Formats: sequence, structure tokens, C-alpha cells
Amino acid sequence: MKLTIAHLYPDLLNLYGDRGNIQCFVKRLEWRGLEAKVLPILSGDSIDFSKVDIVLLGGGSDREQELVCGYLQDIKIKFKQYVEDGGVVLAVCGGYQLLGHYYKSKKEKIEGLGILDITTEWKPKRLIRNIILHSPLFETPVVGFENHGGRTLIHKQTPFGKVFFGLGNTGRSGYEGCIYKNVIGTYLHGPLLPKNPEVCDYLLKKALERKYGERIVLTELDDTLEQKANQVMVKRYQDKKYVLTETIKRYT
Amino acid sequence: MKFRSKLAVRCAKATNKLIKKLNKGSGVTLPGYVARIIDPKILTVMAEMIKEKTIVTMGTNGKTTTNSILYHALTDAGNTVICNRTGANMRNGIISAFVLATEDDCRLKADYACIEVDEIASVRVLPLLKPDCALLTNISRDQLDRFGEVDLTYQTIKTAYDSVPSTTLIINCDDVLSYSFLIEGKNPHVTYGISDEIFDDISRSEIRESIFCRNCSHKLEYDFFHYGQLGMYHCSNCGLKRPTPDYTATQIKREHEVYSFTIDDMEIHSSARTPYNIYNTLSAVATLKALKANVPHLKQTLENFDYGNNRESIFNIKNKQVHLHLSKNPIGFQQKISLILKDKGPKDIIIFINDTYQDGEDVSWLWDVDFQYLSDANVGNIITTGSRRYDMSLRLKYEDIPCTSTTDMEISIQKMCNNDKPNLYIIVNYSGLFNTNRLLSRLEKEGNT
Repeated sequence: MKLTIAHLYPDLLNLYGDRGNIQCFVKRLEWRGLEAKVLPILSGDSIDFSKVDIVLLGGGSDREQELVCGYLQDIKIKFKQYVEDGGVVLAVCGGYQLLGHYYKSKKEKIEGLGILDITTEWKPKRLIRNIILHSPLFETPVVGFENHGGRTLIHKQTPFGKVFFGLGNTGRSGYEGCIYKNVIGTYLHGPLLPKNPEVCDYLLKKALERKYGERIVLTELDDTLEQKANQVMVKRYQDKKYVLTETIKRYT
Repeated sequence: MKFRSKLAVRCAKATNKLIKKLNKGSGVTLPGYVARIIDPKILTVMAEMIKEKTIVTMGTNGKTTTNSILYHALTDAGNTVICNRTGANMRNGIISAFVLATEDDCRLKADYACIEVDEIASVRVLPLLKPDCALLTNISRDQLDRFGEVDLTYQTIKTAYDSVPSTTLIINCDDVLSYSFLIEGKNPHVTYGISDEIFDDISRSEIRESIFCRNCSHKLEYDFFHYGQLGMYHCSNCGLKRPTPDYTATQIKREHEVYSFTIDDMEIHSSARTPYNIYNTLSAVATLKALKANVPHLKQTLENFDYGNNRESIFNIKNKQVHLHLSKNPIGFQQKISLILKDKGPKDIIIFINDTYQDGEDVSWLWDVDFQYLSDANVGNIITTGSRRYDMSLRLKYEDIPCTSTTDMEISIQKMCNNDKPNLYIIVNYSGLFNTNRLLSRLEKEGNT
């Protein structure tokens, strides 16, 4: 079995270790004896969604997002069809914002893909810190780092997780990210997948099932190290003393 | 000098003494804070007392080394130079450097000031300091949890430059992001750059900033990359291209692990082991020339200059050479990997990653470093340590490179010093540097007695 992973515009969107998400998809397929093909779609390249099983849309700066937006408008309809048909998408930071209707940056309103019923507005104080989520889809807490100026309203859509520590979509909603069909949009980088292998396998399973039309049971992998890296962060923020010290440090 | 300024200086000095007496740290930032609270204009008052020139150095990588070269060149010419060499490069640290250097009458008797300025602090420091020259080494991604994103760093520096329109900018024109300051701004300027391909493939990370033209948003074309986004670029759409630099290094040769090169007809046999130190030297020379500083012993200064600076040190422990390197961001780390790969012999590596505020709480940058080269580098053991050791191990796992983790670096070092591999490389990020340096010095001493 083989999956094709399209990395959209790595020449423009490549912040916050996005490459780690690709690497995680690829290795976790290879370690199971499955094949992986990475298809970097550079700005200006065309994309054939019928040959793609996973789409990764990463983070970029406001300026780069503006440039990306132009390219996205050209593939808007096909991208939307792919999502409605159950295509797997992981969108992080800037990529997440662009899946919505618009991103109102400091200077202007950037039109998004309108795939998710969400909207984002820029606010002066960036939301930057470690973040931990609880998601009903996953047994292990999801850990990562957030760094965004945009505040995202997800309206009636389902969030990716409930914020245990950190700020999330707006800094006050208590929720983070957005899930729609097989799309996960999130501000979590760090990168997201290596420390949250359950999320990676969830997306791989969805992509394999969509492509091969059968129920897939993924082989178990030894995730001891992944669990350790994840637990370090979870334990750190379960410790109320630590959280208090960090909060005091932040405001002094 | 106003009474208020004098009071500020005296209180700052008293604070410094008190901190030292109480043994509560090195006392490099609090005195500056005290002085500023008493006299908000203290930095301007101080800067105006500098007899000759004030130089500031900024940039993601190479600030400390470059500032140190400037300091040594000017000092060797017999000048008294104020310098914030301790790495205290935020506003309070800079004020401390000035006020603590004053005489008993609270006045400064200095010819030059060489000041390293953090990019974020630049907006508040430059307008007060009104430097004659502002040197910029380069801009790349660094501590995104502090800076937000590279474009924001760019905007911050631009605002700082615009606030001091008569300051001469010393700009690396191989870096299109740095060069944009000259296109978009009005300051007088001098450029430097290197036209030869001196960096190898390994030191070029795949991760680059701003390879899109800032004029017309077209993708830039490159004849070659030095590293990061530095290289020979041009835009086929609007005609923007890397200009001919005012100062350049030529005849660059690497012999016996060190580089020699020629700048402005001056042949320099340096002790630099890495190509980025050629950039640092070149930028310092360009600055001195731009200032028309009288530096008769420049060649000697540069040839005797120790690029180590406690950030690149070699220790001899038992029969092993232990190389300690500081790496804080992907561009810097990539250069270290290139350096390790130049050593073809068997070796061990320790990677020490912390995530304190100083280091950057976000360790995602580890994924922007091309570690895959280490799988083919004749490496015996790789050991990770520090508060984010598992993140580092995970990074290596996803390149299929085996490693182990430890919380006791001393035992690990001692174990490896007993094996027969000639070299051990230790790469640390910021907060681990001081303790590791101390540990290695102690082990070196113990091993020799």
C-alpha cells in the first residue's frame, strides 16, 4: 500500500518545523512496510487532487500567506471537492487560517479557501506558549507550541481539542483548532505529529481507508520515545507549582 | 552634566556593587534599569560623551564575534572602547555597560563604543544611542517564540533604522532580506559580500527565508546559496539583483583546518575554522573602513583573534579532544554539522537542548536542521541531554539515527573519554553553555593531575 502526501507551497509555508509533520507521515508508513511519496507543490505548480491522499498546508508569515492566497484561489474548487470527498488534510497555523473564509491581517483582508466555516482576525498581542489539549478522539493529550497573531472563530464547527494549558483559537474560548470530515486545522506546531503519534496514525488510517476502501488496522509501533517526549510536557503543566512560577515569570 | 544623570550613574554603580557583594549574579542588567528609571535620557547622555564613534552590531548569527573583532581592532590601536561583551544586549544591559564604565566624576573617557544590540531591543536603543554605524550580520529564523516570525524581526529593525536616518548601515548584500533595508530605506550605507562559493552542501539547510522578491513577489533565482537565503540572487521579473559589494573577501583558502583570505588588499591568515567567521571578519573590516578608523595594527589583530569566545572551545580530557559548540538556531546548527562532517575520523556527539526563556521555549526549530547527514558521519555514540532531550532524540529517531538520553552529562562524558575515539563534539544551546564550559574545564584539570 502506498500514500501520496502533497506538501503545499513549502517554498512559502515552512515555519515552525512543518517538515517534521511530513517526516512523521513518511516514517510511520515506512516502518510499517508501507510506501510513502512526498509531492512538494511549489508556488505556481499545478496539483492533481485525484493522485493525492494527504495534503499538508503549513505555516508562514503574513507576507507569505498573502502570496499563497493567490495560488490557493486557483485550486479552490478542486481543493473543496477533495475535502468533501473525505480527503485528508492537516493544516497548521497559517494553513489553518487559510482554510477559513478570510484572514483579516493588520493591513488587509486575505480571502481564504472557505473550506472550513471559520474566520480569523489579527490582534496585536501574539499568542505564544506551550499548549496541551484534550481531544475525545485521542487517548493521550495532544501537546505542541502555539505562536499566532490571528484569533480564529470556529462558529459551529467541532474543535480539535479542549485547552488544558495554553490559549487556543482565540485565547479565551477554551478550545483549539477545528475538525471537519478528515481535515484537522490547528495552531499546534512543534511540529504536531512526532510527539502526538496517535494523531499521525489517525490521519494515516483515514487516508488508507479512503484510498483502499477497506477497514485498516495499522501495525503497532514502538512509541516509547514519543510517549516520553509527550509526557514531559503533560507532566510539566499538570504541576500547579510549575504553572504558577511560569505565569509569574511571564508577567514580571 | 546634569545632576539627574549623575545621580543615575551613582545609583547604578551602587546597585552593581551591592549585587556583587550579595553574590546575586553578574550585575549587568539591574544597574542599567536603575539608571534609566532615574534618568530616562541616560543612554543619550552617555553616548554623547564618546569622543570618536559609536558602532552597534545586530543580526541573528555572529553578533558577539563581530562585536568582539571591532573591540579588539580599536583597542589594539590604543583607543579606550566601551563594549557590552557579556552578551547583555537588551536595553538595560547596554545602559549598564555605559554607566559602569564611567570615571569617579560620572563622566566617560572613551574613544569608541562597540555595542551589540538585540534585534527586538533595537527600536528602543538606536534612537537614544544615535550610532555612527550600524552593522547587520544577517537575518534568519531565530527564537520564533520571542520574535514571532522573521518578517516581524525585519519590520522591527526597519523601524529602528528609520529612527536614525544619518546612521551608516553596514549591510550584508548576499542576504536579500538585509539588502532590502537599503532598497526601502534612506540611510547612507556600505555593503559587504562574498562572491565565491565557500560553504559546502551540508551547511546549506533546505530551510530558507524570503526567497521571494520583496519588490514584486516573484520567486528569486539563485546562482548558488551560501547558506540559508544568503547567496547570489536575482529577480528575473523586476531586475533586482545582488549588487557588487563595496567590500569583499577574495582568495579564500582553507589549509590545516583554518582559513586565509584577502580583504581590501590585506592578506589575512586567520585562525577561523568556519566560513561564517570570514563573514564576521569581513563585516568588521567594512565597518572600520566606513568609519575611516585609524587601525594600523588591523592585520595583526585579525590574525591573532580568537574566534572561540567561549562559544567554540576545545578541551583535552584524557586522550580525547572535546569540542564544545554553541548553537541556538537552525542556521547555526547546520554550520556545526558541516564542521563535524569535515572530521572524517570516528567520533561521539552529545547534544544538549534546553527550553528556558533564554533558549527559546519553542524547540520546533530542531526539525529545520538537516540531521540526516549524521547517519553517515562515522559517529559512535550520540547522546541527548537537557530539558528537551526527548524532543532531540525524537528528531534523530525520525532520521533513523540511533541515540540514547542522559540526565548526567558528567558520567556520559567520562565514559566516552575512556573509549578510543579521538574526538567528542558537544553542541549546547544557550542556557547549557556556562555549566558545560565549567564542567569541561574541571574535567580537563582533573585529567591532567
